[in-house]
Amino acid sequence: MFCYNCGCHLSEHDFCTSCGVDVSLYKRIMYVSNMYYNEGLAKAGIRDLTGAVTSLRQSLKFNKNHIEARNLLGLVYFEMGEAVAALSEWVISKNLRPEKNIADDYINMIQANGSRLDTINQTIKKYNQALVYCMQDSKDLAVIQLRKVLSLNPKFIRAHQLLALLYIDSEQWDKAKRELVKCTELDRNNVQTLTYMKEVDQMLAPDETGKVSRRKDESVRYQADNEIIIQPIGVKEPRRSGVSTLLNIGLGLIIGIATMYFLVVPAVRTNVNNESQQKINEISNQITARENTITELESQIELLKQEQENLHKELDGYAGTDGTLQAMDQLLVAATNYISSQQPSELTAEEQAQYIQDTADILEEIKNSVVLEENSESFQNLYNILFTAISPQMSRVYYNAGMDAFNAENYAEAITALERAMEYDPEYGDACFNLGQAYRLSGNNTEAIAAYERFVELLPNTERANRARRYITELSAQ
Amino acid sequence: MINFEEELKKFHPSLEIEDAEEAIYNQDLTDMADLLVKMVKESQEAEEQ
Repeated sequence: MFCYNCGCHLSEHDFCTSCGVDVSLYKRIMYVSNMYYNEGLAKAGIRDLTGAVTSLRQSLKFNKNHIEARNLLGLVYFEMGEAVAALSEWVISKNLRPEKNIADDYINMIQANGSRLDTINQTIKKYNQALVYCMQDSKDLAVIQLRKVLSLNPKFIRAHQLLALLYIDSEQWDKAKRELVKCTELDRNNVQTLTYMKEVDQMLAPDETGKVSRRKDESVRYQADNEIIIQPIGVKEPRRSGVSTLLNIGLGLIIGIATMYFLVVPAVRTNVNNESQQKINEISNQITARENTITELESQIELLKQEQENLHKELDGYAGTDGTLQAMDQLLVAATNYISSQQPSELTAEEQAQYIQDTADILEEIKNSVVLEENSESFQNLYNILFTAISPQMSRVYYNAGMDAFNAENYAEAITALERAMEYDPEYGDACFNLGQAYRLSGNNTEAIAAYERFVELLPNTERANRARRYITELSAQ
Repeated sequence: MINFEEELKKFHPSLEIEDAEEAIYNQDLTDMADLLVKMVKESQEAEEQ
């Protein structure tokens, strides 16, 4: 204990040994403060929280600097669910003694946990809202709100008391008692709690007739999800006979079957029909797709048949009766004939000429039946060799035949033969000149001029070339 | 018989955390010791006069 005047430590004397001021009254005030603190501590120990609050507040009225009393008061407030009041006391305590103060730990404990602080604030707001609902006579809402408050902070005594009051007002004595018992467990000597408890006990106590005046509690209440189901206790189901029970069962079965028939069966049928329709649609789509594929394949078959036919025709053109290529076969025959004709010791001149003629006929046939340029190079080479080999003899043969016809004044035949002679030997001058003569004498001036011009090119410095030029001039003038 | 309306008047809104600061500032912290010191000072001043 320190002197209020100079701050020195006080002794057992009634005056300050330092400044001499009378401290007897001051000491007594401090003693009273301590006495209240001890009383408050004792009451808090036996959970008489209201009594503890009263004593501790008294202690602080005598000595505001009693840090232990203030901290304990905060603790008691916190235990009663009054978090803000508790915080206020601890903050003041910390301001009065900044160092070595347990209030610091309490404040940190609350402030460190943000969610807890938020929960405390929510609890207070909901309690205040419940109070507003009570004022507005919305007691059901108030009850719901208070239940939420107590689920968040089960130690909130004032919320328990208010909920108990609401239950008392709605004559739900059992529930009210339950809340009041919880209040008592938290705070033994709360006058308000005890007052309500007395009222509730009176209502629950059996009266002279032995009946408990439960009024609204004459029913069993239980909650299923969000609905409160109230079932009267005393009401009994009327007894029914066995026949009526069987009748009811039968009736229920009939109704059930009818419901099945009229509601469930059509739905099932519709589902089945829908599924069938869906399957039919799928199958139809598949059939359409396959039909398209078949049509496409048929057209491909037609094209392939046509192509095959063309190829057969083309092959028939090439192939002989024995399956070998006809042209090649003919060429080989022509070659054989030619080789046979080149053995003069074994053949007469006529036979040799016949072989040459046969070779020429076959080559002529080959020329008319195939396109030489489309055949292989070896084929073309053999053909050309044979044609070149027989050319001198054949040109001579045709020239002689042409000249015989020319001399017989059969100019048409002469022209044909001489043309053939020119085919075998394009530089055959005699044939060329006489061809011009035949054309001229047959009246075909244009062809005659062409033959003469060709002769002039072949043999320009001859006497017949001069004649040819003269004929050209004459014929051109006509 | 408890009167609901009368009992309801005994319940007051709880202080919210936002109001705590104001409540702390407005709290009257004068104690008996302060009164004693004040009285002693006043009596001393009266004697001096």
